[in-house]
Amino acid sequence: MNRSFETRLDEWLAAGGRALFDFQREACEAYLAGESGLIHSPTGSGKSLAAWLGPLAEAAAEAEEGVSRAGLRILWITPLRALAVDTRENLAEAAEALGSGWRVEVRSGDTSQSVRARQRRQPPEALITTPESLSVLLSYADGAQWFRGLQAVVVDEWHELLGTKRGVQLELCLSRLRGIAPALKTWGLSATLANLEEARDVLLGPRGRGRLVRGSAPKSVRIRSVLPRTLERFPWAGHLGIKLLPAVVEAIAAANSTLLFTNTRSQAELWFQALVDERPDWVGRIALHHGSIDRKLRKRIEDALRAGELICVVCTSSLDLGVDFSPVDRVLQVGSPKGVARLLQRAGRSGHRPGAVSEVLCVPTHAFELVEIAAARRAAEQGRIEARRPLTRSLDVLAQHLVTVALGGGFEAGAMRDEVSTTHAFAGLTDAEWQWVMDFITRGGQALQGYPRYRRVEEIDGRYRVTDRGIGQRHRMGIGTIASDTAMNIRWLTGGSLGTIEESFISRLERGDRFLFAGRLVELAQVRDMTAYVRRAKRGKRTVPRWQGGRMPLSTELADSVLEVLEAAQSATGQPAEVTALAGLLDLQKRWSRLPVPDELLAELTRTREGWSLFLYPFAGRLVHEGLATLLAWRLSRDASATYTLSANDYGLELLSREPPAVDEARLREVLVPGDLEGDLLACMNTSEIAKRRFRDIARIAGLVFQGYPGRGKSTRQVQASSGLIFDVLERYDSGNLLLDQARREVLENQLETRRMRGALESIAGRRIVLERPERLTPLAFPLWAERLQSQIMSSESWRERVVRMAASLERSASRRRKSA
Amino acid sequence: MSVACGATADGGQLAIECAGEELLLHHDRALYWPRRRMLLVADVHLGKEWAFGRAGLAVPGGATESDLGRLDTLVRSFGAEELAVLGDFTHAPPGDEDRWLDHIGDWLHGIPAEVSIVAGNHDRPATRQRMDRRIRWYPESRLERPFVLQHEPEPDPRGYGLGGHLHPAMRLRGGGDSIRLPVFWFLERHAVLPAFGSFTGARNVRPGAGDRVYAIAPDAVVALPAAPR
Repeated sequence: MNRSFETRLDEWLAAGGRALFDFQREACEAYLAGESGLIHSPTGSGKSLAAWLGPLAEAAAEAEEGVSRAGLRILWITPLRALAVDTRENLAEAAEALGSGWRVEVRSGDTSQSVRARQRRQPPEALITTPESLSVLLSYADGAQWFRGLQAVVVDEWHELLGTKRGVQLELCLSRLRGIAPALKTWGLSATLANLEEARDVLLGPRGRGRLVRGSAPKSVRIRSVLPRTLERFPWAGHLGIKLLPAVVEAIAAANSTLLFTNTRSQAELWFQALVDERPDWVGRIALHHGSIDRKLRKRIEDALRAGELICVVCTSSLDLGVDFSPVDRVLQVGSPKGVARLLQRAGRSGHRPGAVSEVLCVPTHAFELVEIAAARRAAEQGRIEARRPLTRSLDVLAQHLVTVALGGGFEAGAMRDEVSTTHAFAGLTDAEWQWVMDFITRGGQALQGYPRYRRVEEIDGRYRVTDRGIGQRHRMGIGTIASDTAMNIRWLTGGSLGTIEESFISRLERGDRFLFAGRLVELAQVRDMTAYVRRAKRGKRTVPRWQGGRMPLSTELADSVLEVLEAAQSATGQPAEVTALAGLLDLQKRWSRLPVPDELLAELTRTREGWSLFLYPFAGRLVHEGLATLLAWRLSRDASATYTLSANDYGLELLSREPPAVDEARLREVLVPGDLEGDLLACMNTSEIAKRRFRDIARIAGLVFQGYPGRGKSTRQVQASSGLIFDVLERYDSGNLLLDQARREVLENQLETRRMRGALESIAGRRIVLERPERLTPLAFPLWAERLQSQIMSSESWRERVVRMAASLERSASRRRKSA
Repeated sequence: MSVACGATADGGQLAIECAGEELLLHHDRALYWPRRRMLLVADVHLGKEWAFGRAGLAVPGGATESDLGRLDTLVRSFGAEELAVLGDFTHAPPGDEDRWLDHIGDWLHGIPAEVSIVAGNHDRPATRQRMDRRIRWYPESRLERPFVLQHEPEPDPRGYGLGGHLHPAMRLRGGGDSIRLPVFWFLERHAVLPAFGSFTGARNVRPGAGDRVYAIAPDAVVALPAAPR
């Protein structure tokens, strides 16, 4: 930093009552020295400024030397469109105060055609955009022209993109930008992660050995719980639901402005409704914010929150990220946070000032969640937080990127292969895979030889290009779809948008069904052209939307910590308040069976009305337990044929059978070895059905299905088909298609978390297995037993048997309905 | 579980009674009318994968040839004298380089039955003109007492309607299991056949009280219980 810039910076900071942090200086100096790097720290500690100072200092130095350069200099990538506008304000303010004279603009899906056209003629010095919009920019023939003078890319909230396909897409785009502007610097901003070095290396690509800048010392975080008043009346295993509402209302009333986080959108709707019912006087000063709510409405809520006009906003992860809501002085978390990093991030939303103490008040919805809260505190104190693992070999994303580049001026195969291999995601790409993807985008793969007219990408004089306008247009429309699932608009019958909702939810409703949405009770009127029309409903029975993806499994770090808390609970003193509150319940568990501890695996065999229930508590998260339950049932039924009903939650799993299963500790030991885990899973799970669901995203990203132009549904009907149908056709006529492989691999790696499952089995191998035979369902067993509604059946029935059985159960419920009618 | 009255199960097919006639429902999504030795199918959508290929969507070929093969097998195994298609035999007019019309020509050469088609909304005039002359086309519905062969299913004063067009399917649930299957759907005055083509989707239908519905599993046709009144 030169002297005059530093003076100006100090003056500007001082005017706002701030001062420069050491890490901001470090990042700025590193930038000026030509380095790349990753800046990490908790939210609200001045990361953005740290990354922005370098470019501004450089601009100031150039201005002093009389150098003036036109064109785009800095690209700022943000994962959420909603953040772009606020980011722009912050960056523009600093740019102006520090005399760069730079224009800072936004380009996203919302940017108007005229602004886009102007931006192409006269690019601003700094452009804020999303990964998808960057990809679209690269698909224009003059894209390379735009980025030739680019000096740096800054990726905001990199931890949100890492480990997702959007992250992979960004890796590829960054490799392309480095191909266009070889001296490009890359900087990332990230919340705290366990694998920061890896996060940096993935972002920086070939120049992986950049700097890791640690932000201001972690603020101290206080994690507290709302404890039920009447401890002895604590429901011994049941749900607390919204029983703690009075305490929550009290906490909100005592604060200036509150963020109330829930884990799912349905929970958010319920709590919002409960708060409004309890305090009608708060209507208008309390709001609901989640990812399905209309973007304009969300923006209004965010503005009101920032202006200090709201008492409370009930929200989901939709407010995890982003800008400063300084009026917020209270954060509540309803339900288990499921992960340590997530809870810390949310806690950071209060006292959003560097150095301030942040506090989060946790509201359990279930008795055992008290243990999870205590465990989160323990893990946070010991600095044990989760990692985000980057994805590799996502061939669907690669196929999309190659078509993008072919569209944006074309590429030469050898050079492109090398460029792609510089990314972390495709460093291990085999020649066979590369050949397959090239074949796929040029000829549609093995099975398309019969199609002389099939072509997306053509080779002309050694360069691969897209020449067909229609294909180019469709491809650009498909670029934005990585993040979104099949969402339907939801609108009032009388006009006006309410937001979006998953198609799978609407398809389960009939006309006239009522549900809570955006804090209102509405009634489904009709569904037309990917829009669900609703009208206001009178009071009555309702369904709360159950959105996909709301049910996060407990993280490994938190699950391990839960076991430690339970072990520590054995000693008489020094217990956290949560454990004391649970003493009665834990004592019951201990008397009827025993408490699970880190060096033991607890199993329970109990006879109930339905038959024999075998419970296991590996504490490895719900997804792993679902897989383990299936594996276990399959391995047990290999010797003695049996039908099991399975259920799983974050703590354990249950296998229910009519006959007592022939198990003892030794037998459990035998079936709980890793063995040929992948092979066994493929053999015993209906992986094809699950893979078909996974294939939805893959088909869309790779350009195998086309969703149609908005508002022009019918004209493209002849080329519309569901991804499930395409999956079937591929499986039958093109079984060597690597995208099918990818779907199966994603099922094993992401859906079933095979790696974590193997880890769990390996850890069990080192633990003692203890089989208890309690006479009644224990406190740990009861939630599993109660969860069985969502359970699965593991059996070797044929198709015909399955159908006949389901038809029979249809008949039973039909006759029940007839009787009650 | 009781099988709906008037129906008997046999291998991969199910015999039912309809409008005083015996009909066999086959699990390969076809219906056979023994008295007239007529095989009925709906919504074959031949050439659909070629339409996708032309639009730049990489769907593999094979569905058209394979579906023609299935039709041939069914005609031979029933000993049918006529194959009657209830509309949407084809998906879209062929492109200049498409070869599926040739496949149909070869297939017609070998098939031991008359082929007739009630034109569906996808069977465009442009397609019909270029189609092999051995196929008999019915531009409107066709009376074959006591049935009316039609594409879009609707009650017809002349007789009991047999149509397609809807690609009917139902989701079955029970005991934690759930599958979606194509169905034959028999209403009071007309019936809807499942889509025959292997590259066709399906739409969930909601049968009313008194409708008879038969689900098609990969190896069987299963009568479903009646919906509650």
